[in-house]
Amino acid sequence: MSATCEFQAKDFKSDLKPIWCPGCGDYSVVQGIYRALAAIGRAPHEVAFISGIGCSSRIPGYTTAYGFNTVHGRALPIAQGIKLANPDLLVLAAGGDGDGFSIGGGHIAHLIRRNIDITYIVMDNQIYGLTKGQLSPTSQKGRTTCTSPYGSLENPVNPLLYVLAYGAGFVAQASPTDLAGMAATLEEAIRYPGFAFVNVQSPCVTYGEEAQQIKGLKAISESLAAIGHDPADRLAAMDLAQHYGSKMHLGVFYKNPEPPPTYDALIRERQAQLSQGAPPKERILDLFIKK
Amino acid sequence: MRKDLVFGMAGSGGDGIVSAGDSLLQAASAEGYHGVMTKSFGSQIRGGESSCRVRISTDPVLNPGGNLDVAVALNWEDFLKFGAELPVAGTTVVIYEAATGVAENQIPLVGVTPLQVIAVPIAAMAKETAGTERAKNTVVLGLIAGWFGIGGEAVMKGISKKLAKKSQELVEANQKAFDSGVAFAKSHPLKADMTIVPSASKGAVKLLTDGNDMCAAAAIFAGCQFFGGYPITPSTEIMQFFTNHVWKYGGAVLQAEDEIAGIGAAVGASFAGKKAMTATSGPGLSLKSEMMGLASIAELPLVIVDVQRGGPSTGLPTKTEQSDLFAAAFSAHGDVIRPVLAPTSVADIFRTTVEAFNIAEYYQTPVIILSDQEIASRKETLDPIDTSQFKIIDRLKPTGSDLQDYKRFKQTENHISPISHPGMLGGTYLASGIEHVESGAPTNSGSVHARMNDKRIKKLDPLKDRKDLFEITGNPDAPLALVAWGSVAGVCREALQMAREQGLDVKLMVPYLLYPVAEQTYRDFFVSVQKGLVVEQSHLAQTFKVLRMHLDLPKGLQSLARSGANPFLPGEIVAALHQLLAELQRSHEGKLQPQE
Repeated sequence: MSATCEFQAKDFKSDLKPIWCPGCGDYSVVQGIYRALAAIGRAPHEVAFISGIGCSSRIPGYTTAYGFNTVHGRALPIAQGIKLANPDLLVLAAGGDGDGFSIGGGHIAHLIRRNIDITYIVMDNQIYGLTKGQLSPTSQKGRTTCTSPYGSLENPVNPLLYVLAYGAGFVAQASPTDLAGMAATLEEAIRYPGFAFVNVQSPCVTYGEEAQQIKGLKAISESLAAIGHDPADRLAAMDLAQHYGSKMHLGVFYKNPEPPPTYDALIRERQAQLSQGAPPKERILDLFIKK
Repeated sequence: MRKDLVFGMAGSGGDGIVSAGDSLLQAASAEGYHGVMTKSFGSQIRGGESSCRVRISTDPVLNPGGNLDVAVALNWEDFLKFGAELPVAGTTVVIYEAATGVAENQIPLVGVTPLQVIAVPIAAMAKETAGTERAKNTVVLGLIAGWFGIGGEAVMKGISKKLAKKSQELVEANQKAFDSGVAFAKSHPLKADMTIVPSASKGAVKLLTDGNDMCAAAAIFAGCQFFGGYPITPSTEIMQFFTNHVWKYGGAVLQAEDEIAGIGAAVGASFAGKKAMTATSGPGLSLKSEMMGLASIAELPLVIVDVQRGGPSTGLPTKTEQSDLFAAAFSAHGDVIRPVLAPTSVADIFRTTVEAFNIAEYYQTPVIILSDQEIASRKETLDPIDTSQFKIIDRLKPTGSDLQDYKRFKQTENHISPISHPGMLGGTYLASGIEHVESGAPTNSGSVHARMNDKRIKKLDPLKDRKDLFEITGNPDAPLALVAWGSVAGVCREALQMAREQGLDVKLMVPYLLYPVAEQTYRDFFVSVQKGLVVEQSHLAQTFKVLRMHLDLPKGLQSLARSGANPFLPGEIVAALHQLLAELQRSHEGKLQPQE
């Protein structure tokens, strides 16, 4: 399984130069990912890193892992196919808030209920960046953007509450205001045996609001550990998640203390069980013999 | 005595019509006959109408047959809903439920006088012998055994096996119902002898299955280890077969939350290094098209089965059509070619599916199998298939030297690049839907894009030289020709036989490769052709138009196209050929007139 040699953050950094705007929050996210992967100790070639479309979804290319920059909103279905085809791999999925909660919103519930061992990192900047500043599903109500010139009439999706409500086993939030904390949270998420979700506040320097920039984020940040939150308490986590948008709680909201078996593990069990005494596949047509 | 019989039966959902057809076909198979069964429903679960046609023959069966030899109507309202799917002619024996109260000389068939019409109190016989009208289908099977000499012991053996799990009483009750049918038939002889010739191959091993199960079994044989899909009629049984069997071979199956996730998971599994498949029908194919484009540009092997049904949109969900050719060949943005293959029968869907995996793996491309509802859900008896004659191809893996400085999308002479997968040391790369240079790094460069498009398209060129993906029968120099694919090909094979028996000089081309269009193969075929028909179940004549788009067709080549689900009949195609021949002769006569 995992390689015995030690890895450093730089071992996960690829030669590709990011296309992100200078000062984009995603730079911090990728740093956090390098550190977390180094701490985990799996070699880059044992990691599959899948994304959808958008600024944030370019992230697999900036790592030395096997990457797949797929189509808009579909990182999760593809990631799960990879994990089910080869459960030995460490599978990460990443994308933005639009990618994950608008076009791809329907998939999250199903990965959670299947409990596939994938870590999903959403870089939440509350805007559509790559298409130049349209309203996103996490944009605050009333926000003016180029597609909401008179102010948005829609309530935002609360990503934390969303995944908690579906029953995710691991839910956390991180911020570039605390890179060390982000790396630690990502590491814990990757280590969690089951579906893990990390919402990372990722400031958009070009289309983001002031309150969303580092200074603003610092002002509303609060460490969950510091306020004594118990990550085993799912109801308390849901209560805290309600503050999304006004307060930014950092750290682990919820971590199932007794993780149930993952889908990929159950598949292995089933394969082992049913392969006993199975006819060779060359004889599969024997199933159709009528005597 | 007859060598071939076509039964058509219809009743209300729950009357057990399809299960009677199943029993009849299984019994025929056990007695060594060849046979085909097709089912047709309204789009409902219970209630509504359901029907089946069973063709039984001493010779291999090419299609479900034309006009019915035997029509069984449990009620007229349901029977008539199937119209041209169950055509009654002057050669048909009509058996119907006497309780419908319709006089034998007043059955509601317009413009047809059947050979013989017999009202049978089927429900009453079931009630009297088995104590329940639910045994109506068993009475019908008894009638068939009595009148046509098929299925006697074997039918009851099959039914008993099924019912024994429930109760012995049920077995006995059904035996009585069956016997009452046989007795009725014996006491009411038919005007003509319609018993079937005993089969010469009694006792020979035969397979009995439908197109969907055969397709899934072939996929597992070809090494498919992952299926991602979403239930949609009439493709769902493919997923069901996987859920039953693929685990045994180390594979996995995912019933996804939607069509997009289904194919997405398959794309992921392929990226992870496993052979993967998804199956769907028209509406699902529409949803999957973006992912097919992704697999094309990321050069990932993938097999997509589209079991066609009537469209557009929900269309005729339970009935057959051939109208997804445009969608299969063209539903993508950008410049992309994906191979499209079509089976023509349950037997050859095995070969087509194995071929689809081989092509997908070798060329690192998505491949579509265009099946159709008729092939998918019809049952056929088959001779055993020698699986050892099939070659299995796996994708080209990078060697040690490739991995020194690995370039996933490296330009090679045949445009095929070694493909690594996660877990392979030295092979890490970025796969993407975005245009990329040889290493996989994203690019916006127009010239790289042009080169990569060229690579992805040109790598498929050799496919067009595959003569083995085309079946040509009849006199190679014939002036008359037929072109047909999918389930319609079976009808045309029989039409060809009939036409040749009637002295027509005609040949038939059945393409298993529909796209890319193998221009030269068609040109060669058309050299001798002065008149011909492209026969297809598509209102728009999609095949005819795709061919015309790619090559100059002979002037005399015409389209014989109509919407599903009403099947073409071999006789109808032969009539059209006679018409073409007459036109041809007239035009020659004109030329032969002495000049003044």
